[in-house]
This record gives sequence, structure tokens and C-alpha cells, in this order.
Amino acid sequence: MSEFYPFGRRAGLRTTFSVGMGFVIVFAIVPAAAVIVISLTDIRGLPYIPVNWVGIENYLTFFSGAKLGYNLHALWNTLVFAFSVTIFQNFIALMIAVVLSTKLRGRTFYRAVVFMPTVLGVTVIGLIWSLIFNPSAGPAATVWSWFGADSAFFGDQKIAMALVISVQVWAGLGLAVVIFLAGIQAIPEELYECASIDGASGSKKLRHITVPLLAPSFTANVLLCIVGSLQSYQLAYVLTGPNNPATQVLSLAIFTQAFGGGTSSGSVASQGYAGAISMVQFVIVGLISVAVLVYLRRQESKT
Amino acid sequence: MKTPSLCSRRVLGRRIGLVSVVATSLLLAACSSGTSGPAAKTGGAPSGTLKFIVSSSDASDAGFRAVNAAFMKKYPKVKIDFSAIPNQNWAATNSSRLTAGNVDITLAGPKEVPSYVSASAQGDDARAADAGVYADLTDQAAMKRFSPSVLKATQYKGKQYVVPTGLSYYTGAYYNKKLFAKYGLTVPTTWDEFVKVCNTLKKNGVAPLGVGGKDSAGLVMLSAVQGLYPTAQDKEALNQGLWQKKVKLTDSKPVQVLDRVATMFGFAQRNFSGVAGSTIAAGFANGEYAMIPDGTWDTPTVTSAVGSKFDFGYFPIPTSNNAAENATVGGKVELTLAVPSSAKNKTAALAYLDFFTEPANYTKFVELSGFASAEPGIATSDFLKSLEGYTKTFSPAWDTVFIVNPKAGAAAQYPFNYGAVTPLGSSTPAQAAGQSQKDWAAGQ
Repeated sequence: MSEFYPFGRRAGLRTTFSVGMGFVIVFAIVPAAAVIVISLTDIRGLPYIPVNWVGIENYLTFFSGAKLGYNLHALWNTLVFAFSVTIFQNFIALMIAVVLSTKLRGRTFYRAVVFMPTVLGVTVIGLIWSLIFNPSAGPAATVWSWFGADSAFFGDQKIAMALVISVQVWAGLGLAVVIFLAGIQAIPEELYECASIDGASGSKKLRHITVPLLAPSFTANVLLCIVGSLQSYQLAYVLTGPNNPATQVLSLAIFTQAFGGGTSSGSVASQGYAGAISMVQFVIVGLISVAVLVYLRRQESKT
Repeated sequence: MKTPSLCSRRVLGRRIGLVSVVATSLLLAACSSGTSGPAAKTGGAPSGTLKFIVSSSDASDAGFRAVNAAFMKKYPKVKIDFSAIPNQNWAATNSSRLTAGNVDITLAGPKEVPSYVSASAQGDDARAADAGVYADLTDQAAMKRFSPSVLKATQYKGKQYVVPTGLSYYTGAYYNKKLFAKYGLTVPTTWDEFVKVCNTLKKNGVAPLGVGGKDSAGLVMLSAVQGLYPTAQDKEALNQGLWQKKVKLTDSKPVQVLDRVATMFGFAQRNFSGVAGSTIAAGFANGEYAMIPDGTWDTPTVTSAVGSKFDFGYFPIPTSNNAAENATVGGKVELTLAVPSSAKNKTAALAYLDFFTEPANYTKFVELSGFASAEPGIATSDFLKSLEGYTKTFSPAWDTVFIVNPKAGAAAQYPFNYGAVTPLGSSTPAQAAGQSQKDWAAGQ
């Protein structure tokens, strides 16, 4: 193994590493640790208000009879959202990546189109899809009317979640496709040639060569997707508002409790309570992520 | 293939520890230096930068900008740094600006909690006022220009911390006079008349009500409460009854509120649950719906949308069958300005508030913002004049009287649980009331 380091001598490497580590600690680890401390207090949203230590009272409120039903419902929505997005996004991204890795004409253009949503940002995406799904005058309403139906789209309790999941999948496809493409391009061409000689069809090649050898890309994509979508609330907020019971996810509950409240009198719940919900979410996301990671690594080592 | 490591784990651990200590101490040093800033300027002619933040709304932003321009003309040495923050970012922005001591005028609404409400229900602004975050403005000349009833509504523990910018009324509906004339309809004054008007419109293919289900359906609920609990005393008695467990949300009158809401939802345009409030004025202007439950703050928007297509008026939605109880429109004191104690340019801030409340400038603000005047003797628009019959006794709307219990469940936040009523939710009024009573009781 060569001892060549891109940064040159070790002192330089040490400095840049320390600076990078410093940023990570100041902007990621210290705030994360601070949330644990905050969740044990009743800190409010405005400065100079006296802060009292309340121990686990915020956690008890989270699991109290008044709030448990709502929180469990939010948790259920979160799990449905995360697993649906992960499954659909990865499946569709894999299909698109396989198509784009063939010698297709204009594939650079198609790759750019697929990647575009990633660049747009949540607010723009939310605005676009809100306009598309405007029940009174949007394009979707027109298409629905061709079938003699009409719908409230994001206002309809039954389909709001499905629509938000679709928009999230659309928004996240770009990154997933890029990761799969990179993985596909790392697969040696000779394997496909051997398979062709042996008389394998396209779908057999996909099943027996592409998918098994994409295991590391799957791990990366699935993990990114699960962790991201378990915490994602921005699209639900922009598309359906902060209080829609059909799309209420746990992270949205945190956001509205910590930063909600109107200009008339300030928010009523303390940010300590919001911190407590964050910690509960952290534990849930952590457990699920570790379980998924262990499972996927085992699948990887089988190939 | 094992990744080559740069150094042994022990050395790496020590290095990370050292970097953490350095980073954290830098962070703490930066924090502590923030609190001991230069002393706030007071006295003398105003100069320097005046940092001014408000929650954004097109009409009031225009009003503020006009007053700002006039102020800067009078005091050329002052530069106003005015930011109109979108609603969803307001709380976070206000909090960070106050913490940094980086704002001279902001919004605040400290509200006293009555004795029968638990202290945990006190809002952030009230707690901040107790902690001395806002400057006491009681003795400012600006305060003397307001009507006593408005000052009483905005005072906190006997002191004035905020300057009101106006009043808004929002338990009524704009109505299309042309459509009403076309179908021979008059402004309804009782619930039965209102239902008859809506049925006539529906029969003729016009949506009676335009509601923005995504974010503005609460206005329908507030109008329902206004007719059934018309005066401030009625609402305060309800608030007290709920807190002291003497009134249940499943009693007949509270359920009647939700019945009214359900009926009004039935008269709203098709699929209104997916429509955003911001698109309603345009639909009204296009004649898609005959009436829109909305607030008077929207008058400039509705006026510019409707233009000269038709005349429109405003009336309180009559949810009682006793016409006398439907004679008021519920309102609130609009944006209220406060000066933080940590403001660096208090001189300019106080001079601005004095300037803002001067009748000449205040008239301009009120004209552009669509607010009703909080000062007596200010010329109002014809539209607001037409409402004077409904607004001569100020009746606070339900959401300004009710005190939320943070320990109660989510269905008890308003507490008339309009969000659970079909089609916004999937319950009947009785079921929605039951759910909110369960959540309310669980928090007590």
C-alpha cells in the first residue's frame, strides 16, 4: 500500500483534519449534545427568560395520555412515509440507472433532467407541486376531470400522504440514480460479455449480475433514504401545512412545537419539550438505521 | 483491504479531545462577548441605523414602508433597516435577533393569564415581559394617542410594553353585491336566513362560500363562535368554564359551534380542503364564490383583485338565530410593536414610535394597511365606515380570549376541533367535540 497522501506532509494533513474536525464538533456535535441538555429544561423560545431544570418531565409529557395518541399517530405516519419513500425511490432509481447506463441517445440530457429536482430545493418543489395539484385550476385537476372525477389532492385525507410520498420520491431520485450509476459503471464489462456468451437475457443479467454487485450502492442509498426520510418534514410542511393530521410526521411536530406559535403571543410549548421529542426521534432513527445497516452489510458480505 | 490509519487510536482520541476543548472554548468566548455590548444610546436627536422587523403581510408591509420613508426624510441621519419576515420563519428569526441584541423594534404580544389558568400556559412574550426583555413604554407620548379601550386590551400587568398598530375584524365575510342582487338576496341577519341564502346560491350553481381549507378554515370556526358567544364576557365565561371544568366541550352549545362549522363546510366550494388561503381572493374576484369568510386585513388584497368588476361588502356571519347576537364582528388588536431592552438604538426606536403614532403618519399607515384605526378621530376608508355599526363595541374574537393549555392533547388546541370535521378530518361534529374534550380533560 503506497504511503502517498494527497495532502503531502503529515503536518498539513493534521492541520486540515483538525480544522475540519473543529467545524464538525462546533456545528454538529456540540448542538446535538446541547439538545440532550435542553430536553431536561423548560427553556423557552425567547432569550433572558429564566430556565429551570425539570428533569424528565418533558419526556413524561410526550408519553402522557393527552399527547400519546397524537405522537403515536405521528410516529406511524413517519414510519409509513420513510419505508414507502425508501422502497419506491430505490426501485425506480435502479430502473432509471439501468436504462441510463445503456448506450441511449441523449442520455446526458436525461441524466440532467433526472438530477434537476435535487438542485431545486424544497420550497420551489413545494410550490411547483402545490400549483400542479391546485384543486380548482391546476393541471392535475384537469387530468382528473377527464375521468369525470375531482379531488382535493393535498386536502383529501385519503390521498394526501400518497401524494407527499410521490413528491418526495421524485425529489430524491436524482441522488439515488447518481449513486446507482456510479455502482453500475464499476461493474466490469467482462461479466456481461461472459453472460451474453452463456446466453443470458437482459433480465437475467439484471438479476444475477447487476443487482448483487450493486450491494454497496444499495446500502448507501437505502441508508441515506431511511435516515433522511425518517427526519424529513419540509415537504409535508410546504405541501399540506403544519397541522394536517394525514401527513403529520414526528419531525413536523417538533418543528411546530419549537418554532410554531403565531405573532400574537409567542409559542406556548417550551423548546425543552421540542428537544425531548427530538431525542425520542433520535433514538428511533438510530435504532432503525443500525438495524438496516447491519442487515445490509450482511447482504453485502454474502456476494 | 484494511484502510491505513494515520495514527494510533490513543493519539487520535487525544487529538480529538484537544480540538473539542479548543472549539468549545472558542464558542463559549464568542457567546459571552455577545452579551456585553456597547451601552444603548438614549436621548438626543435620532441617528444611526434603526433595525426594525415585522411579520410580513403585503398590506401592512406597504404601510410600514411608507411611514419609514417619511421618517427617514424627517431624520436624514437615521437609516431604517426594515425586514418583513414571512410568517413561518417569524418565531425563529425574532428569537435569534433578540438573542443577538440585533433589533430595535420588533413585534410582541404579552398576554396576562387569569388566575384560574395554570402558569405553564403563559406564552413566551408574557414570560419575556416578566423577565424585562421589553422596554416599558407606559410613559411615552405615543401611548396617549390611543383609545383607552385599545390600551386596556394591550396592557400587561398594568404597564404598556407595546404600541398597537391597528385593529382587524375577522368573523365576517366579504360578499359579492352583484351576485346577491342577481338572485334577489339580502344580507342575512340570522342563521336560518344565512342557510337560505346559501341554498339559493347553491341551487343556481354558485359556490356560496370560498374557504381556504389548507390554512384558513379556522376563520369559519371563529365566526361560528362569534354568533353563539357574542360578547367578551360570554367568551371569558366559556374560557373560565373550560379551565375550571364547569363547561365541557361535549355540552350542547360547544357542539353547536361545530355543527355550524360542518354546515358551512358543506356550503364551501368543492375540494376546498386542498385550497390555500392565498388563492381565495382571486377566486372571489372571478365570481367563483359569493362570500368569503376573511379578515378586514385582506381588504387591500380583495380590493385590488376585484377592481371594478363588482361592489363588495362585509357582514358578520350570523351563526345565532337571534339577530341581536349577530350584530358584532369579532376582532383583535393587530401587530403590536415593542422595543427590546437590549436595543442598541433606543433613541431612534422611541422617536420612530412617536412619529408613527402622529395622526398624519398614522392615517397614511392605516390607509395602506387596511387596519382599522386604534386612535380616535382618524379618517377611515369608506369600507371600514360601512362596518361601524358592527364595530362600535369592540368584541374580541375567540382566539384572543381562549388560553391554550400546553399539557392538553392536540385536538384541544383551539379548542373547537374544526380540523377533525369532514372534509378536513373524518369526524362528525359530535365525534370531533368528543375527541377535543378527551384531549382537554387529559391535560388538566
